Amino acid sequence: MTGRLKTAAGVLIVVVLLFPLYWMINASFQPSGALLKPDPDWFPVGGTLDGYRKALSTQGPNLLSSVFIALGTVVFSLAVAMPASYALAQLKVRGGPVIVFVMLIVQMIPGIVMANSLYTVFSNLGLLDSYLGLVLADSTATIPFAALLLRAFMISIPRELTEASRVDGAGYWRTFFSIIVPVSRNAMVTAGLFSFLFAWADFLFAVTLTTGQTFQPITVGIYRFVGNQSADWNGIMATAVLASIPAAILLVVAQRYVVAGMTSGAVKD
Amino acid sequence: MFVLRRGLLAAAGVATAATLVSGCSPSPAPGGTGSSAAPAASITELDYYADEQGSAAWQKILDTCSTQTGIKIQRQSIPTAQMLPKILQGASSRSLPNLLFTDNPTLQQVASTGALTPVTDYGISTDGYYPSIIKAGTYQDKVYGLAPGVNGLALVYNKDLLQAAGVQPPKTWDELKAAAVKLSGNGKYGLAFSAIPSEEGTWQFLPFFWSNGADLSSLDSPKAAQALQYVTDLVSGGAASKSVVTWSQNDVADQFVTGNAAMMINGSWNLARLDKETALHYGVVPIPVPQAGGQPSVALGGEVGAIPITDAAAQQAAGKVLSCILSDPTMLEWSKAHAYVPSKTAVAAKFGAETPAMQAFIDEVGTAKSRTAELGEKYPKVSQALADAIQAALTGKQPVDQALKAAQQASGS
Amino acid sequence: MTLTAARPSVTRRPAARKPRASDRFVAVAFLLPAIVYVVVFFGYPLVANLVMSTQNYTVRSFYTGEAPFVGFDNYSAVLNNPLFSTAALNTALFTVGSIVFQFAIGLALATFFNGRFLGSTLLRSLLLLPWLLPLVVSGAVWRWMFDTDHGVLNAALRAVGVDPVPWLTSTSWALPAVILTNIWIGIPFNLVILHGGLRAIPASLYEAAELDGASAWQRFRHVTWPLLRPVTGIVLMLGLVYTIKVFDVIMVVTGGGPANATQTLTTWSYRLSFHDFAFGQGAAVGNILIVVATVFGFVYLRSAKATLAETAS
Repeated sequence: MTGRLKTAAGVLIVVVLLFPLYWMINASFQPSGALLKPDPDWFPVGGTLDGYRKALSTQGPNLLSSVFIALGTVVFSLAVAMPASYALAQLKVRGGPVIVFVMLIVQMIPGIVMANSLYTVFSNLGLLDSYLGLVLADSTATIPFAALLLRAFMISIPRELTEASRVDGAGYWRTFFSIIVPVSRNAMVTAGLFSFLFAWADFLFAVTLTTGQTFQPITVGIYRFVGNQSADWNGIMATAVLASIPAAILLVVAQRYVVAGMTSGAVKD
Repeated sequence: MFVLRRGLLAAAGVATAATLVSGCSPSPAPGGTGSSAAPAASITELDYYADEQGSAAWQKILDTCSTQTGIKIQRQSIPTAQMLPKILQGASSRSLPNLLFTDNPTLQQVASTGALTPVTDYGISTDGYYPSIIKAGTYQDKVYGLAPGVNGLALVYNKDLLQAAGVQPPKTWDELKAAAVKLSGNGKYGLAFSAIPSEEGTWQFLPFFWSNGADLSSLDSPKAAQALQYVTDLVSGGAASKSVVTWSQNDVADQFVTGNAAMMINGSWNLARLDKETALHYGVVPIPVPQAGGQPSVALGGEVGAIPITDAAAQQAAGKVLSCILSDPTMLEWSKAHAYVPSKTAVAAKFGAETPAMQAFIDEVGTAKSRTAELGEKYPKVSQALADAIQAALTGKQPVDQALKAAQQASGS
Repeated sequence: MTLTAARPSVTRRPAARKPRASDRFVAVAFLLPAIVYVVVFFGYPLVANLVMSTQNYTVRSFYTGEAPFVGFDNYSAVLNNPLFSTAALNTALFTVGSIVFQFAIGLALATFFNGRFLGSTLLRSLLLLPWLLPLVVSGAVWRWMFDTDHGVLNAALRAVGVDPVPWLTSTSWALPAVILTNIWIGIPFNLVILHGGLRAIPASLYEAAELDGASAWQRFRHVTWPLLRPVTGIVLMLGLVYTIKVFDVIMVVTGGGPANATQTLTTWSYRLSFHDFAFGQGAAVGNILIVVATVFGFVYLRSAKATLAETAS
C-alpha cells in the first residue's frame, strides 16, 4: 500500500472508530437533550457555548488537580515497577513466578473493596484529601499492571547486553540505569501512558478519598452537572471535551518517544 | 519456597497491622443524648445535592441556618450513588458526619445499625407533619430522621399536544390508556416513565401498584398482577416506548422536553427545568387511579435529616441546625427553591396556594405512603425483586404472573 | 525462535555463572519496594474480602464490627441462586466476545500503523482518545447511539435498508450492545501495547525474511507472531482480568438489565452488596471471580515460563 493510500485508509479508520467521540463533541455544543430529538443534528448548527462557559469557569482547578495526581502516579509507579520487572524478567529470583502470579491476582480485587479498606486506613493516617494519598491509592491499579507489562517487554532484552556490562565491572545498579532503562524506553512510555490514563480516569478512589473541601479531581468535578434529579448533558460533554485536551496533548507527545528497534545500536550484527 | 513463605508471613503480619490500625480509630466520646453539653462551634454535614442547581439551593439553606444558629457547617456533597458507600465507610471508621441527609429508604438501613440518635432528643417535635413522613423516618418506634421537604410523582402532560389531539388530562387508568394510545405515533409516544432495574424503577411503579390496593409483602397477589399487566399493556400496545426499561427519570424528563412523549410520570423536582423551557406548556395532574373517584397512592420521596452518634457537643450543634432547617420559613424556602413539598401540612397548604403547579403534588402527599413503612429494612430486597419482575414483564421475557411469582420467591418474605 | 541476528560485540564470552548469594540479594533488593507496596496495600483488602465472604455481613456489621461466622453458607447461597448461571454465562460471553475482537482489531491496527506514513503517529495517538473519557460520558454517548427510535446506529441501519435493532430493550441484543461498547473502549489498550511490541522487533529480521522470499503473511507468521509472544501473552492476560472486572461500562449503559440480560458476576456482586445488603454474598461472588482469574493465571504462567525458557536459550 502506498503512503498516500495508507494515510487515507488511516483517516477513514480513525473517523469510524472515533465517531462516538465526535458525537460527544456534537453534544457539547447543543442544549441538553437536543440529541434525543427524532432527527438529531449531525452538526451543531446554531449551537451553544454555554456548556463550555460553565465548564471553564468551574473545572479549571479540577483539571490541574487531576494532572498532578496522574503525573505523580506515573512517577511513583514507574519508580517502583521498573526495578521489580527487571528482577522478574532478567535476574534469577526464587519465587519469581509466585510474585508474577500475585501481581495478577491482586488486580482482581473489586475496586469498592479496595476503596473501603483504603478509606479506613487513610482516615486514621490523615491521608484523606491529600495528593499523596491519591497517588498511593491510584498506584494500586498501576503498579501491578506496569510491573507485568514491563516484565513482558524486558524478557526480550538479550542477556548479552547485561552480561557484557557486568563483565566490564559495572555494578547491578549501574547496569540497570545505563543499559536496561534506556533500552526499555518503549516499554516505559507505554506503561507510563497507561498509568497516566488509569489515574486520570479513576473515579472511585477520587470520590472516596476526598471530601471536596480542598481539591477535586475532574472525574468527581464532572458530577457538578449530574444531579440526583437532572443531568446537564451540555455541561457534562463540554467538561469531558475540555478534560480530554491536556491528556491528549500529553499522549501525542509521549508517543513520540516510542522509537523503533529497542536494541538498535546496542548490539551489532 | 523461601520467598513464598516469607511472603505469606509478611502478608499476615501486615494484614494484622492494618487491622489494628483501622480498628484503632479514636472511639467517640459516649454521645448519647448529652443534653447537658454545650453545642460545638462547627459541624460536618453530608448530602447528595451535587448538581449545580440543587447544590446552590441547599447551600443557601445551610448558610441561612448557619447564621441563625451561629454554628459553622462544613459541607460535603457527593454523587447520589456514592451516598451509601460513604455512609458505610463512615460507619466502619466511626467518622460519620454530624448531620446526614439521605433518602428515606437508606435511613432505615442506617438506623438499624444503631449509629443514629432520635431527633426528638434535640427538642425537635413531630407535630404538624404529614403522618407518612414521620413514618418514613421512624425505626422501631423512634423517629431518627425528619425531612424538610418531600416529593412524589404525578402525571405531567404537554398542554399543546393534548389539545391538538383533543384529549383531556386523564383521571383513570382507562382514560390514561386511551389518551396515551391516541397520542402515540410517528416515533412519538403518549406516555413515558422509568422502568430501570433499580429502586428508581420500583419507585415509578409503586403508584400503580399501591393505587390498585396491592401490598409489598405479597408481590404475586391478583391486585399486583393487575397493576403490572396494565403497565405491560401500555408498552406492548405502543402507548409507551419499549425503551422505558433503559430510561432513568432524568431520561424520561429529556424525552418529555424534546416532545418525544406527550405525558410523563415524574416528580416535582423537574418543574424548575420545565419552567425554563419557554416553548413548553405543561400541566400537572395526580397519577390516574384504577377506578374513578379513588385516591392515588404514591411513594414518598425526599431526603431526611439524621444525626449520627459522634460526640455530645457536635450532636447538640447538629440538633440546633436541624431544628433551624425544619423551621417553617426555612422549610418553605427549601421547597420553593427545589420544588419539593413542605413536610408540615400547614406550610404545604400555604405553598400550594402560592404555587398552583405544585398543588397536584401536595394533594398526593396527603395519601402518600413511605416505602419502608411495612417492611423496614427488608424493603431493599423486595424492591429489587419487584424491579426485576417489572423488567421481565415489560421485555416480554416472562408473563406477568410468572414474573411476580419469581419476585415473591426472590424477595424471601 | 531467538534473535539469531544479534551477536555480542565482545568476543570474550563469560562462562555461565551460577547465581551467587549476592545476586539473589540484589534481586530481592530490586523487588523489595514492589513487594512491600503490594503487601501493604493489597494484603488487608484481600484478607478482609475473604473473611467477609464467610460471614453474615450486614449494614449493621459496618458499624458494630460484629458479623457472625457462617462458613460456606454464602457460597452455597450464591451458587444455588438462579441468577448465578445467568451471570456466569453472561460473564463468559462478555469476556470472550470482548477480548477476541479487541485483540484482533488492536493487532490489525497496530500492524497497520507500524509502517511509517504521513500522519501515522498522530492518527495512532488519536485512537487512544476513547480511553480518556470518563466512563459516565462514553456510556451516555453509547446509550444515545443505541436508542431504538432515535439512535444514530439505527438511523444508519435504516439508511442501508436494514431493520432497526432493539439494542438496549431486547434481552437478546443488550449483551451484544454492551460487548460492542466494551470492544470500542478496549481497542486502544491492545493497540498501544501490541504496537510497542511490534516496534521492538528489529527491521533487519523482516528484511532478511523478505530476501528469503517470504510473503507478508509468512513474515507475520514466522517473524512477527513468535517474537510478539510475550507481549501477546500479557495483553491477553491483563485483558482478561480487566474485562472480568468491567463494571462501570455495563452499569452506565444498561444497569445490568434489561431483565438481567447483561448481569455479569461483577455487577451482580455489586448488586448483592449494595442493593440487597448481603455483603457476605457479594464478597463470595468476588472471590469466585478471583478463583477464575487464578486458573487463567496458571495458564499464563505456564506459557510465560515457556517463552522465558525459549528466549534465554
